[in-house]
Amino acid sequence: MTVRPSLLPAALGLVLAVGLTGCAGTAAPDSAGSSSSAAGTSATASGTAEAAGQRIEVQVAGGQVRGDTGRVPVTAGEHVTLVITSDVADEVHVHGYDLETALSPGQPAEIAFDATIPGVFEVELHEAGTLLLSLQVQ
Amino acid sequence: MTVLAHGVGSRTDLPIPLGLALYGAGAAILLSFVVLLLFWRRPKLDRTSSGTPVPAGAQRVLDSSAVRLGLQAVALAVAVLVTVVAVAGPAETSRNVAPWVLYVTFWVGLVPVSLLLGPVWRVVNPLRLVHRGLRVVLPAAPGAGRLPALGLWPATVSLLVFLWLELVYPDRADPTTVAAFLIGYAVVQLVLALWFGEEWFAAGDGFEVYSTVIARLSPWGRRDDGRLVLRNPLVNATVAPVDRGLVAVVVVLLGSTAFDGLSRTVFWQTGPGAANDSLSGTAGLLVMIGLVAGLYVLGARLSGRLAGQAEGVQPRRYAGTVIPIALGYTVAHYFSLFMLDGQTTWILASNPFGLAGVDLFGTYGNVVDLTAVTSDAIALVQVGAIVTGHVAGVTLAHERALLSARRARASDQLPLVIVMVLFTVGGLGLLFGF
Repeated sequence: MTVRPSLLPAALGLVLAVGLTGCAGTAAPDSAGSSSSAAGTSATASGTAEAAGQRIEVQVAGGQVRGDTGRVPVTAGEHVTLVITSDVADEVHVHGYDLETALSPGQPAEIAFDATIPGVFEVELHEAGTLLLSLQVQ
Repeated sequence: MTVLAHGVGSRTDLPIPLGLALYGAGAAILLSFVVLLLFWRRPKLDRTSSGTPVPAGAQRVLDSSAVRLGLQAVALAVAVLVTVVAVAGPAETSRNVAPWVLYVTFWVGLVPVSLLLGPVWRVVNPLRLVHRGLRVVLPAAPGAGRLPALGLWPATVSLLVFLWLELVYPDRADPTTVAAFLIGYAVVQLVLALWFGEEWFAAGDGFEVYSTVIARLSPWGRRDDGRLVLRNPLVNATVAPVDRGLVAVVVVLLGSTAFDGLSRTVFWQTGPGAANDSLSGTAGLLVMIGLVAGLYVLGARLSGRLAGQAEGVQPRRYAGTVIPIALGYTVAHYFSLFMLDGQTTWILASNPFGLAGVDLFGTYGNVVDLTAVTSDAIALVQVGAIVTGHVAGVTLAHERALLSARRARASDQLPLVIVMVLFTVGGLGLLFGF
């Protein structure tokens, strides 16, 4: 038959070669635009200027999370506005995009950014460790 | 600290596209029958004398104890430095290099290195060097006679401990956890090595055994005359001895990676794993390992029964054939972690103690580029690794069946092949997220 076993190691090697070549490029400078600095956090922009894009709202009360929780799909490249309201002071962290903002009790806080990095990213409360939602950017 | 699927990391992979999952599953099933029905009918991989020898001079250098001691000394220096950073470096995981070195660069990096270069950790294991030093003071190894009977079971235990830490323990990414693990692991391994002798490391050091098990699929082997040779990895995998307990090691590796995949699915996160605590994690890990173990033993024994052979020996006989499948799972689940979050190691290594103004390699200001590998490339590598591992596994099992009975019928192998297809389709299902 034509399928020779020697092809298998070649295929394994190919997978590896991809891994090793990619590895050489350690941390290219921030190609994702503004999203990996904390500049995207704006606590006041609740006007109509940012009506475009996707608005995701969650409320935390007594340790329970309500609103757009779970796995939230987002189209890559879309502008995302996260609105978080908590009954206790804490800090929100969007993993991967590495965005943070402080929460004051009862005050809605916003994190706005362009979802330019594909993948699944958790949004959590730093102090309480509560998972608010996962952004599925694709 | 955050709750992520692996020890550390800032992202997880997107579910693979359904089409790709189905193509992968279809290819795996089709290729299984190609292997069973169309591949060779007489054993052809069992050639201990095959291979292209490396030049004798090169082998002398590679095998020389001076080179090996030197490499162990370098590894020891790095290990001590990482441990000191874990103890005294920055308290935040995102600023401390130790968790990234342990969970990504070392644990995941050991896979490609062992696959390309052979059983690397057995050669450079720094604990062997420390053990050698301690031997001067304590020359007797009272338990040496008992070690062979234990096979690889001690390594199974130490791998299970590490995997539980990596996949379940909530504070796994804390530098203090990493420090405690590194110190505790070294102390326990050294005490046991002093009791059982230096051979302990080949049987009880989980990392060394992990490296050796993967290296069975590397192109490097020892010919029966002792020469270091380059040869077909499938020959290596076939002629490598099947130690007692290899089944346990392989089942633990495959089951734990399956649990890692499971813990990233919406099903797990909103269902059985919603509590996200040690209890649900431990239960999930053990259930997945148990499931893999049950299916594998069932398939191997049924194949043996059909072939009219003693059933008890079958799981051990075929243990090596599951290694490529476990390896495929591992590549599929950790490739992106290594490529993307793995960059963190090289950034933080530039300033391991987080001191102001220190930037040894000029990389400290870099930002991890999470777009360095596209989602499409990741999905292709994932499916490619799973299917390649499957085909290699079925091929090795086919050869193993022919070795156990010269006129083995293809139909006798069917139960084990069906189990392998289940592992592969299950693995693709986990990547798809069900």
